[in-house]
Amino acid sequence: MTDSTIQHNEDKRDVTFRVHRFNPQVDSKPYFDDYTIKLEKGITVLRALNYIKEHVDPSLTFRAFCQAGICGSCAMRINNMSKLACTTQVWDELEKSREPDVIKVEPLRNLPLIKDLVVEMDPLVGKMQQYSNWVDSKMPEEQWGRKEFLVSEEEFLKYDKATDCILCASCVSECTILRANREYVSPAILLKSYRMNVDNRDASHEERLAGLVKDHGVWDCTHCYRCQESCVKHIPIMDAIHGIREDALESRGVKDTSGARHAEAFMEDIEKKGKLVEATLPIRTNGLAWTLRNLLPMAFKMVIKRRTPPPPPLVKSTKGIDAFRAEFREMSGHVAKDHEKKSGE
Amino acid sequence: MKPFDIVIVGGGGAGLYAAMEAMKTNAGLNIAVISKIYPNRSHTSAAQGGANAALANKAKDDTVEMHIFDTIKGSDYLADQDAVEVLCSEAPKIIRELENMGTPWSRLDDKTIAQRPFGGAGRPRCCYCADKTGHTILQTLYEQCLRKGVQFFNEYFALDLSVDGSRSKGLIALNVKTGKIEAFPAKTVIFATGGYAKMYWNRSSNAAGNTGDGQAIAYRAGIPLKDMEFVQFHPTGLRKSGLLVTEGARGEGGYLVNALGERFMSRYAPEKMELGPRDLVSRSLETEILEGRGFDSPAGKYLHLDLRHLGADLIKSRLPQIREMCMYFEGVDPIEEPIPVRPTAHYSMGGIDTDNYGRTVMEGVYAAGECGCVSVHGANRLGGNSLLDILVFGRIAGRAAAEEAGKFDPSPIRDVEILGKELELRSFMQPSGHYERYGTLREELGHTLGQNVGIYREASKISKGIEDLAALKERFSHVRVFDTSDVYNTNLIQVLELRNMLDLAETVAAGALVREESRGSHTRTDFPTRDDDNWHRHTTYTLEKGAPRLGFKPVTMGRYELQERTY
Ligand SMILES: Cc1cc2nc3c(=O)[nH]c(=O)nc-3n(C[C@H](O)[C@H](O)[C@H](O)COP(=O)(O)OP(=O)(O)OC[C@H]3O[C@@H](n4cnc5c(N)ncnc54)[C@H](O)[C@@H]3O)c2cc1C
Ligand code: SF4
Ligand code: SF4
Ligand code: FES
Repeated sequence: MTDSTIQHNEDKRDVTFRVHRFNPQVDSKPYFDDYTIKLEKGITVLRALNYIKEHVDPSLTFRAFCQAGICGSCAMRINNMSKLACTTQVWDELEKSREPDVIKVEPLRNLPLIKDLVVEMDPLVGKMQQYSNWVDSKMPEEQWGRKEFLVSEEEFLKYDKATDCILCASCVSECTILRANREYVSPAILLKSYRMNVDNRDASHEERLAGLVKDHGVWDCTHCYRCQESCVKHIPIMDAIHGIREDALESRGVKDTSGARHAEAFMEDIEKKGKLVEATLPIRTNGLAWTLRNLLPMAFKMVIKRRTPPPPPLVKSTKGIDAFRAEFREMSGHVAKDHEKKSGE
Repeated sequence: MKPFDIVIVGGGGAGLYAAMEAMKTNAGLNIAVISKIYPNRSHTSAAQGGANAALANKAKDDTVEMHIFDTIKGSDYLADQDAVEVLCSEAPKIIRELENMGTPWSRLDDKTIAQRPFGGAGRPRCCYCADKTGHTILQTLYEQCLRKGVQFFNEYFALDLSVDGSRSKGLIALNVKTGKIEAFPAKTVIFATGGYAKMYWNRSSNAAGNTGDGQAIAYRAGIPLKDMEFVQFHPTGLRKSGLLVTEGARGEGGYLVNALGERFMSRYAPEKMELGPRDLVSRSLETEILEGRGFDSPAGKYLHLDLRHLGADLIKSRLPQIREMCMYFEGVDPIEEPIPVRPTAHYSMGGIDTDNYGRTVMEGVYAAGECGCVSVHGANRLGGNSLLDILVFGRIAGRAAAEEAGKFDPSPIRDVEILGKELELRSFMQPSGHYERYGTLREELGHTLGQNVGIYREASKISKGIEDLAALKERFSHVRVFDTSDVYNTNLIQVLELRNMLDLAETVAAGALVREESRGSHTRTDFPTRDDDNWHRHTTYTLEKGAPRLGFKPVTMGRYELQERTY
């Protein structure tokens, strides 16, 4: 069995976890602690943290529950990306580490810090309430339990993927707009709102939509795709965001200020190119000053990481644009009227 | 402080349904749901398979009657037949109710809720939403509770009941975010804290917090527990974490192989091989390990589930989730390597002894869900019946508590009770010469239970287990909490959870020793057959002078006579 023994030894490594620490009762600001432990291949980041807690430093604090990628408790930033510690293999992370054999572990961003790797989740629950993230059944409660709504598989598929969300807040932590403005609705909440809106058993579609197009709502999104890229359940969050926007234009026209400006920019893009020019969208919506103040610093970082949407000249018109434009003009007729009214005021 | 009408401990399926139903019964009630984690993270979300209900959407000839019979037979005749009748006849209504409030379900061609076959059921009656049924049910209930404005106290850890003679005055809990101990004076308390199978620690498919807190609290307050020796094992848990590799892997043709390279199932089920019934396959794996034909590793002995011969294409197309799981949690790609597996503790049939309304012997205290024991599962739970149990009996308990709440005014919880708790918790942090690490004790607890009170049990081994437990309890008195901060002290919480598991483990072992027969999940090698003359009865456990006192209760019979359980 010498073979397997050698194999075994080769698969052990000293790994350093550089962990964000903060105890509000004693620390004035956060700092990092290095824990170096010998690990074998096949260990998850969560198991490594558990090991550190049990054998090295019992005060190290993080959330974890199911340890199976289903409860959403253990989301944290590992090597600068928000993800679940329990589904992340240490060996995979080591390949991404900037410093050899060092894995950086930090709490999620965009939510208030409580201690070490634990952040406050209440703001997210608050937003679930604010945006009515529940089905408001068309059936009166007294009648529940007697017969099923009939729902086709096709209709079920409209919200199937969105209901995979485990509210881990990884996308919240990675969202570009939330970094500038914590009041922003949040990608997970947009996803959930969309899921409710496309459920034909729901009766509150209009009211929910009215909330979503207000300030800090769906129009603030920059389409940076970071939420979707970080989603631990690989949910196409952007489909939900586009879905809400299309729905808003279709069923409401544009009635709200920030949304109106954003929507115009949005429509102008679509009309001209059949595609969104996302790079210029925040400027046209929020004004140049706001964009400079809030988004540019981030945009620079994003360019370095090649994350920005393509700058305007590179966006090519999509095929079939003529037919689309015709349809689009018709659809946006009432928006124009709306706009006239506004400027006449 | 004005007392709450109802304090619900636990935000899983059982707790949330109780809250909804209580508000529906009387919208004016002051209800609190206390949960040590955010409710949407509760272990209910782990249930993939589905929930049973004789909707007859798929098999038109399915009936409630058949569901009742399957459940009683599955329980090895230890379930109470009147309770099973409630469970199964309420099932279609509660699944429709969930549907009506917005739960996503997979659908059949005729647009009704989809149903699939499940072990031990005579008809395909398991209602599902892809492989995330528990998750979608839990999300929906949480959303609906938010809609109704249920008051949540999230990240509060329940410590103990406050008792006045024969009656509860409410609950004492630790606010995890602040470290403050708070009183929840209450007219009624409903425990819905889930199962205790995590006491098998690394040999359990359960979440880290399924530590039986509610059962332990009730037990300490003098409320009897019931049928604690019945713990269900699943054959293929991952070696390191205990997480489930679902039956699908064997269904597609995976082999179970021992260290000698043998497909050992040929010894136990020559025809069905890997596809034999769950308990038989679990016992076969255990035998191979016990007889020295397992692989050895620091994480314990194990066997191989080999999928390599199925080929990369089939594994990628038919078993993507299983492959992903093995890579995430074990670092093993089943296309290239066999999966290391061993049986894993999965579900706890026992729990707080209740009647068909969720009432315990203590006035004002209720229990529902996996933490209660009505009993509808008897000696062995059928797949898909647990989600149903938590919904049906969560609702019944919620209604019963709402009706009772008006009738009683508890005396207040006194400050000295709170102070006493504070001192108790502080004492864990006091330095003493010799100390023990909770992590070590926890692992040893899982190990001795797995070894001595696991799948195969016999008097000598169980006695060894009982000795080990006594030693662990002694060592626990030296456990020290090193994190002395008030804010989010998970070190303290985990120690408190360990204490609860140690208390309950004693009842599991005591029951395993006294029950000299084999029934359902309880297999005694020294008493290999079912003994209805002596053991067709429930066991109960009451805490007396620091140890469980055993008692017995008759099984409520009905239409179905005792029969041999064969499939
Ligand atoms: C992997 C797996 C798959 C399963 N699949 C199925 C299936 O397909 N079909 C089926 O029917 N069943 C299945 N089950 C079983 C089923 O999921 C559970 O029995 C059921 O969900 C338990 O629900 P519950 O509401 O009783 O408890 P849980 O959902 O466990 O909720 C317990 C609640 O209590 C709270 N709590 C606990 N202790 C404290 C404390 N000290 N203070 C405050 N709050 C506390 C927790 O925060 C949590 O909110 C499965 C189980 C597992 C492990
Ligand atoms: S696409 Fe929108 S919601 Fe998603 S991260 Fe970017 S700004 Fe946030
Ligand atoms: S959308 Fe994805 S990343 Fe965001 S909370 Fe849900 S599961 Fe997590
Ligand atoms: S611990 Fe539940 S998702 Fe990681």
